[in-house]
Amino acid sequence: MAEGMDFESLVACYYEPLYQFAFSLTRDEADACDLVQQAFCIWANKGHQLRDTTKVKTWLFTTLHREFLSVCRRRTRFPHVELDHAADELPVVSPPAVNRLDTEQVLAALGRLDEVYQAPVALFYLQDCSYNEIAAILEVPLGTVKSRLARGLGRLHQLLTGEKIEMPKPKYL
Amino acid sequence: MNRDEAKSILLLYRHGTADAADPQIIEALALAERDQELKDWLVIHCAREFVVRQKFRQITPPAGLKEQIISEQAASERAVPIWNRKIGWVPVAALLLLSGLLASLWLANRGHGEDTLAVFQTQMAGVALRGYGMDVTTNDPVAIRVYLAQNGAPSDFVLPAALKQVALAGCAIEGWRDAKVTMICFRTSNAAPEATSDLWLFVVDRSSVKKTSVGSVPRLAKVNRLMTATWVQGDKLYFLGTAGDVQAIQHYL
Repeated sequence: MAEGMDFESLVACYYEPLYQFAFSLTRDEADACDLVQQAFCIWANKGHQLRDTTKVKTWLFTTLHREFLSVCRRRTRFPHVELDHAADELPVVSPPAVNRLDTEQVLAALGRLDEVYQAPVALFYLQDCSYNEIAAILEVPLGTVKSRLARGLGRLHQLLTGEKIEMPKPKYL
Repeated sequence: MNRDEAKSILLLYRHGTADAADPQIIEALALAERDQELKDWLVIHCAREFVVRQKFRQITPPAGLKEQIISEQAASERAVPIWNRKIGWVPVAALLLLSGLLASLWLANRGHGEDTLAVFQTQMAGVALRGYGMDVTTNDPVAIRVYLAQNGAPSDFVLPAALKQVALAGCAIEGWRDAKVTMICFRTSNAAPEATSDLWLFVVDRSSVKKTSVGSVPRLAKVNRLMTATWVQGDKLYFLGTAGDVQAIQHYL
């Protein structure tokens, strides 16, 4: 258990941002609840192994993301058809209409991104995580995070506004 | 750095955060100061990003999630055998030394772990809620029973009359301690279009679950987010679950 924080306090502190992250990834309430619950369950069993108690937040987000990937792998074994094809028919939202977007539309656009871009983009918007924190949570190098963010955000931007931003070769990422 | 390069960099810029300290962003922001078109784009972009960020933050957890996490963890800790709890070595060692006879009894029984009905219900509800793969996808009851029998899982179960009217979706075989559990998946008329099934029946040998105080009359209880019914018939224990309320589950009994 993190120093000075019991399980209830930990849940109270992090369940909401974890749920937001989980829902961004799954876009399903039950699945998101399960991921959050699973993350805390793993914390209850293994959290004491974490020596640096300042890393609790990163640890929880990393654990949740790992669980998400694990669930995705299991579902790949037993695939079922989702309504992804319908997402391709989502209307492009004109720039002035962005203010009228609802969360569902934003998440639908997020869901249209390639999977590797979804988690970094969600963290980018949700938590004000630094690029280093996002890299730590997703367990990928910093350069990879920046590269995925640039491409993911560019694509999301295009989906929401119709404006395509040319992506130069990532020499600076 | 040209305008397009600056735009692609500024996509990663979150106004009011530490992003502004990033050298590439500093350079892109400096260019925006000199380039009116880029500056105009940046103003619109920042406003748009603010809106999108707000939308993400409007995601709200369902009521009761926090309480559920805490209560289930507390229940789980109660279910953990005392020898598995993190209570330190000294008291455990002392207890073992002073309780040789009890320790022997414990050693003789520890293989059974926690085999109570409550744990069984929680575990099976978790299977239904956390995602599962059907071993056989079919609406043919005979094919399901044949598959289960061939694989050593309970296949001679008896379905309530109302449940027989519900469309079958398939089956799977789950594990419970050393026993096999039959999982029958149904798809009711209320199922969401994307749901492969929304009603699940688990059947296991009654002897493999301890402390089964239920009888032949279904006992209703909320387990995790499922409304469930548990009953015993013959040498089998039945555990039926679905999302919804008491009326929802009673409809199938």
